[in-house]
Amino acid sequence: MSEIQFATPQTVKEAVKCLAGAKGKARVLAGGTDLLVQLRAGFVRPGLIVDIKHIPELRKVKREDGGFRIGAAVSGAELGANAAVKKAWPGVVEGLELIGSTQIQGRASLGGNLCNGSPAADSVPALIAAAATCHIAGPKGTREAKVEDIVSGPGKTTLKPGEFVVSFFLPKRPKRSGDAYLRLIPRTEMDIAVVGAGVSLALDSKGVCTEARVALGAVAPKAVLVKAAGKALVGTKVDDAALEAMAAACRDACKPIDDKRGTVAYRTKVAGVLAQRAARIALARATGE
Amino acid sequence: MGNEEDIGKIIDYSGREFQYIGKRTIRPDGVDKVTGRANFGADFTVNGMIHGRVVRSPHAHAKIKKINVDKALKLDGVKAVITGKDFPEIDINDKAVGEVVVSYYDMAHNIIARDKVYYDGHAVAAVAATTPDIAEKAAKLIEVEYDVLKPVMTAAQAMKKNAPVLHKHIHTAGVEPAPEKPSNVASRTEFKLGDPAAGFADADVIVEREFSTQTVHQGYIEPHACCASISADGNTNIWCSSQGQFMVRAYTAKICGMETSKVKVIPAEIGGGFGGKTVVYLEPLAVMLAKKAGRPVKMVMTRDEVLRATGPTSGGTARARIGAKKDGTIVAGELELVYEAGAYPGSPVALGCMTGFAPYDIKNVSCVGWDVLVNRPKAAAYRAPGAPVAAFGVECTLDVLAEELGMCPLELRMKNAAVEGTQAPYGVKFNRIGYKETLEAAKAHPHWSAPLGPNQGRGIASGFWFNIGGTSSAEVMVNEDGTVIVATGNPDIGGSRASMALMAAEVLGIDVARIKPLVADTESVPFSMLTGGSRVTFATGKAVIEAAQDAVNDLKRRAAKIWDVDVDQVEWENGQAVCIESTQHKPLSIAAIAAKADKTGGAISGRANINATGAGPGFGTHICDVEVDPETGYVTVLRYTAIQDVGKAIHPSYVEGQLQGGAVQGIGWALNEEYVYSEDGRLLNTGFLDYRMPVASDLPMIDTVVVEVPNPGHPYGVRGVGETPIVPPLAAVANAVSHAIGKRVTDLPLSPPRLLAVIDGK
Amino acid sequence: MAKVVLPLEVARAFADGETDHAVEARDVRALVRALEERFPGIAERLSRGTAVAVDGEIYQDWFLEEVRPDSEVRFLPAIEGG
Repeated sequence: MSEIQFATPQTVKEAVKCLAGAKGKARVLAGGTDLLVQLRAGFVRPGLIVDIKHIPELRKVKREDGGFRIGAAVSGAELGANAAVKKAWPGVVEGLELIGSTQIQGRASLGGNLCNGSPAADSVPALIAAAATCHIAGPKGTREAKVEDIVSGPGKTTLKPGEFVVSFFLPKRPKRSGDAYLRLIPRTEMDIAVVGAGVSLALDSKGVCTEARVALGAVAPKAVLVKAAGKALVGTKVDDAALEAMAAACRDACKPIDDKRGTVAYRTKVAGVLAQRAARIALARATGE
Repeated sequence: MGNEEDIGKIIDYSGREFQYIGKRTIRPDGVDKVTGRANFGADFTVNGMIHGRVVRSPHAHAKIKKINVDKALKLDGVKAVITGKDFPEIDINDKAVGEVVVSYYDMAHNIIARDKVYYDGHAVAAVAATTPDIAEKAAKLIEVEYDVLKPVMTAAQAMKKNAPVLHKHIHTAGVEPAPEKPSNVASRTEFKLGDPAAGFADADVIVEREFSTQTVHQGYIEPHACCASISADGNTNIWCSSQGQFMVRAYTAKICGMETSKVKVIPAEIGGGFGGKTVVYLEPLAVMLAKKAGRPVKMVMTRDEVLRATGPTSGGTARARIGAKKDGTIVAGELELVYEAGAYPGSPVALGCMTGFAPYDIKNVSCVGWDVLVNRPKAAAYRAPGAPVAAFGVECTLDVLAEELGMCPLELRMKNAAVEGTQAPYGVKFNRIGYKETLEAAKAHPHWSAPLGPNQGRGIASGFWFNIGGTSSAEVMVNEDGTVIVATGNPDIGGSRASMALMAAEVLGIDVARIKPLVADTESVPFSMLTGGSRVTFATGKAVIEAAQDAVNDLKRRAAKIWDVDVDQVEWENGQAVCIESTQHKPLSIAAIAAKADKTGGAISGRANINATGAGPGFGTHICDVEVDPETGYVTVLRYTAIQDVGKAIHPSYVEGQLQGGAVQGIGWALNEEYVYSEDGRLLNTGFLDYRMPVASDLPMIDTVVVEVPNPGHPYGVRGVGETPIVPPLAAVANAVSHAIGKRVTDLPLSPPRLLAVIDGK
Repeated sequence: MAKVVLPLEVARAFADGETDHAVEARDVRALVRALEERFPGIAERLSRGTAVAVDGEIYQDWFLEEVRPDSEVRFLPAIEGG
């Protein structure tokens, strides 16, 4: 721990420079709710920690093109207090708000939760279901990417050396649409999802589903956008039969492992159960109940 | 009151009004604890202190071929390295003289391995260096060569023919004739009352079920920590938290080959023990490192070290068979327990056998217990050791019996309840007990008759713990201003300091705010048996009462001198000396007498060194409501009521806290706690993320009902309180879940994946 | 004569499985000595990890507890705690 350097860049450009110039592994620090735990456990020994919380745009939430641009270091507590985002994308906010506990919420961020690369990350399925994108900065400039393309496997991202996520973009919420996120943990907080399900759907004026995105967490090496599950809902009134077909598609998409948190059989079954329950909530939100 | 002949006399206090006993006074340790000032085991800093780190085996079962410490010793800042070879040999038959059989040989080898390692985390070496970082680096430079052996991770594996044997010198004890071949079955224990075969033959209904539980940890929030300093003449100081500073002294001296008199142990504030701190792990290592380095050494365990390498309690199986007449009279009971002792013998299986059927008056009982070695850490005591798993078996089977008989489970227990004069399964007849009263309180409680909704179920279960007495010492010292210090040798793990002050206040008749209770070090108070067995408020309380009475006698003698009267003219009332012939002499307060202490003979104090007998058993009955999500197996505890006979609640808030705490630990044991090992014996869940203890939001308020059936063996009626509350919850939760899902659950923990498999019939 | 009850394992190891015995003694120490005369080696076995209950009162550190002519003296495992 004693040879770590610490940098507090004030702009994105400065941050990119810090990361590029780092000798050995550099780690980006937003809330630190994963990084500090890993440091203390000796799992990581970075030469440089770059604290991005001093860059104003990393901490801001702004309206943009009818949607929202959220700085990657905005905390769960801050986002939860943002009425507009909460109203438009309750599933995304509730996913982020499930992380940890009240204390953790003061620090945990969308950027950290995504880039830590845990397949069980709570904010990720709802972000994927919402078709959110990331704005990334690096030595070669900036680029956009879909949230579902960021994580490549447990603890690994597709970010190139020196890149970091600057912000997230949540698109304009279509009329008559809703989203939701549910997870299963053995306790009520302070736990890692055994299964997570994020659903976003939109209906036409007759109540028929026109679009649907279903994403699952903790049932594969990374969060999965289950295209077949979304397809099972489109063109239906999201009735029991459609939901069962969606659940079946979810079960098929699961590639979980047996570990100390859950078995393959358990995760597979519960993925279907949670996806159905999340879809019902999203439906209720879409119809304005 | 307070006369010479009253010392130690059992006073019948029924109907007596207390002035201080039963009051919810401010806890004496509260301010320091909530402001972060309290000094726990890891909070001591001493001049010249360096830092120790332990090297632990990554293998569950292996021979140590070679340990190479050269690279570590060469690292700048490293001051000492030790291995098992630095410790004196202890005879294989060396056992602690005293109550429980403690094998010093096993203890010494558990603290640091000699030629074999027996569990993932078993200490093999330790290093001390000038900074924790350097110690950490040095630990990584110590090279250990192992000959890895096949581990046995469960009792079932360990008991198989041709299973790898952990210890070649262990032959199953309690079996005649003594077996020739070594075994992983360390012992067999049996208790019998009456004629069980005849009893079962006489039964109209017989039910039998088998249950299983997993290894669970006491989960104290404060990891083990100590600081040891040894001078050139061998005088050693150890600062540490523990459940017994005298125990730390005795065990450390023995393991390090030192004289007890050379070791002083200064107790720190303790952040939870629950039995897990009734033994030592770091202290002998810190002392040896300090000796070799010539510097004081501080050692603090990480959480994963605590889980891997300190005693959890035994997992195991319980098979219970109960026979009854049609009207619900139980005519025979049979219990067979198989407990995993861990790497060395000593699971609490005998205690399980003795407690399982204890709440019931059954004439014919057979209880057999097996103590089995496995490649897991050596089990240590955990709150009512052995009882929760036995009660799990018995109380769930009683539930099955109630169903078969079409009888209310509470009525079934009422019909067979042990009372004064009932013979316990271990043969002793109960004195005055309050089990029936807890059942009556349960029946009358609104929880018992509250309505239940869909997917909800209610469970009831009872439990018993003996509670013990033991050797306790107390000094009551009167200061010049009339305030009082009460010093004892027992660490406070559940509010005993407050209770000592209250009991002293009651005897002395002064405001408890003028009494300072403290926990003294091993050189400032006579020997006291450790804190455990729910004995401190009872036994150390008795010592404090006697010491306070002794102080009162001293105060009366001083008053007599001041008044120039015979001491038999002096009474003690309401904190004052009162002259029987009172026209001339106005009453004297403690302060007034203390002001003249020097003139009347010197400092004023009282003392008592006792071995307390007369402990009263504690019975509890718990009611639990759960809701089960049938699609995910998730259990929500909706409501929980813990009812217990405590004899007399000296400080009610603390007593309620003990009931709640034990209940919560039992609920965690039932729902989500378990050690998860890989096939090759590595512990996979070494932190509180995946070793799942309940968090505060998981549980409703635990309602408590304090029943008081006074224990005739204590002046104020005290019974031990701390252990009984963990005994009923395993069955209370399991019975509730069984009713919620309509199927009998028999295997703990009831984590969602396991429960869903039961629900789905897999 | 006081009635003495031995733990099953001790009875099997020393007294041919017979748990109940009649012994005359004025205290537990004398009682154990009397048992030792009948069953050599039993004293050492009863001295470790064994408590005694005399007429229902349990003593963890037995020694000089009074035994009356009609007492029941029962040996049982010592009880620890947590």
